Parts: sequence; C-alpha cells; structure tokens
Amino acid sequence: MTDFVEQCRLEWRRLGVADALAEEMAAELAADLTEAEAEGVSAEEFLGSSPRSFAASWAAERGIIPAPPSPENARRRPLVLVAFTALAAIMLVFAAQGLLTGQPRAALVTSMSGTSDRHLQSPSATPFLPLGTHRQVLSLGNPSAPVEWILLSFAIVALGFAAWLWWSRGRSRSPSVLA
Amino acid sequence: MWYMVADSQRRTELLRGVLDLCLLAVMNEGPAYGYEMTKRLRDRGLAIVGEGSIYPLLGRLERDGLVETYRAAGNGGPMRKYYRPSSAGRLALAMGVSEWRAARDSVDAVLAHVKVEVLHD
Repeated sequence: MTDFVEQCRLEWRRLGVADALAEEMAAELAADLTEAEAEGVSAEEFLGSSPRSFAASWAAERGIIPAPPSPENARRRPLVLVAFTALAAIMLVFAAQGLLTGQPRAALVTSMSGTSDRHLQSPSATPFLPLGTHRQVLSLGNPSAPVEWILLSFAIVALGFAAWLWWSRGRSRSPSVLA
Repeated sequence: MWYMVADSQRRTELLRGVLDLCLLAVMNEGPAYGYEMTKRLRDRGLAIVGEGSIYPLLGRLERDGLVETYRAAGNGGPMRKYYRPSSAGRLALAMGVSEWRAARDSVDAVLAHVKVEVLHD
C-alpha cells in the first residue's frame, strides 16, 4: 500500500501537481487502500498494476495538470520534432562546412553611420541615418565575426534543445489507465 | 475462449458509459468515500469496477461541479473524503437516468425477442 501511494506521489511531483493537492489525494488513497487491504483486497486488485498511470489519469481528470494532447496533435508532434532536428543538423553541417572550407565567408559588422565604413558593399543603397545610429550589414569577404560561427552556435543550441525534447518525450510516454 | 473475452470487453464498454451515473446514484443514497462507493457498486453486481477507474471519474465529477466533497472521520478511523451530488449533479443524474432508460428500452426492443440456436460440434 505504502509503495503504491509513494509511486503516485512521485508521479504527481513529476507532473507538477501542487504539494497540497498531492498530499490530499495521497491521504484519500492511503485511507481507502488501508480499508481495502483489511478486507483482503490488494492494491493491485483495487487500483490496477500501474500506480504511475493511475496517478496521472486521476490528476488529469481532476484538471490539476494539463490534459494529454489530442490524438491528432500527438501524431503531428513527432513530425515537427523530426523536422526541427533535421533543420538544426543541416544548419550545423552548413556552418561546419563554411568554417572548414572558408567558402562562403560572411560576417555581420556593426557600424556607426557617419563614420568611414569600408565594409559597406553599396553605399548608394544605404539611406542616410543620423549620426550615432547603429546598423548591421552583411559583409562578404570579412573574416571577423563570421556568420558561420553564429550559425554553428545556433545549430549546437538547437540540437541540444532537440535532444532534450526527444528525451522528455521518451520519459513522458506512459500508457493511459483511463478504463 | 474468444467469446468470453468479448463478453467481458462489452460489459466493460457498457459500464464505462454509465459509470458516472452509477457513482452519482450510489452517493445520492448517502455521502460516501471512494472505496465505500466501490463496495456499494459491488453489492449490486458491478464487481467489474476496479483498476482504479472510479478515482479519475470522481475527479472529473468534482472538476465539473457535479459533486461536493467534505472531510470527516469515518467510524473512528482516519479522515476520509466524502462525496455527495451537488444540485447540478442531481440534475445530471436525473437526466442521465432518463437517457439510460430510453436507450435500454430501444436496445430491448431489438434484442428482447432474438432467438438464436447455437449448434455445438
């Protein structure tokens, strides 16, 4: 009995159920289980063999955790995740290739208008800006602060985020007991 | 035996659709805590209730405002959480019973006069 209730507590904690509510549900469950076991009914017979699924189902129905995603959303979610992971991987390859080969080489340069700026590719295309205004231009052929490094950083962060999403998804997938 | 499994599944499916009504009905007889409701249902032959199915259902009824709850010590034992139908719950019960009777009569009209001969090898 204690183990069943403890497993439920762990699941509610994992799901972010408020402590007061989790304690209230655990107390209700413990009292009922004690009576059931005194009458020869085991916890498994009374509540099923999966404490965590039971706890998640109860909390979801009480509306104290977000309801599970609809089947349609659940079907789409892996596709979105795969697409995001693929995009991050492509970005990583592109950035790594650019850094290794040196082509193409691009840089983001922050400049002050009104000062001499040799990075601007087409001065006639740049409208007048007041003195002291910051601007960013894409400058080809400049090795400082290359865009590839920025892309690489984004790609690594995105891949890390994707890995975390896959891990979270793997952990949260548990069978429903709504019988 | 495949037909025994099918019978059990059908019974579970039928009960699933009206278990909320059954819970409202037994708590309408008098406030009850979770396990007590299970016993009242079992006493009427609904022994299939188990696997923790009533707690999520009680949670849903509570969320929808169909039951009221309060705490009290039961027979000198620990504090228990008692459930009873709210006024909205009693209305839902009355409507649900009416729907159930209509559905039952319709199904009876189809199934009541069925005569099937089962041949054994």
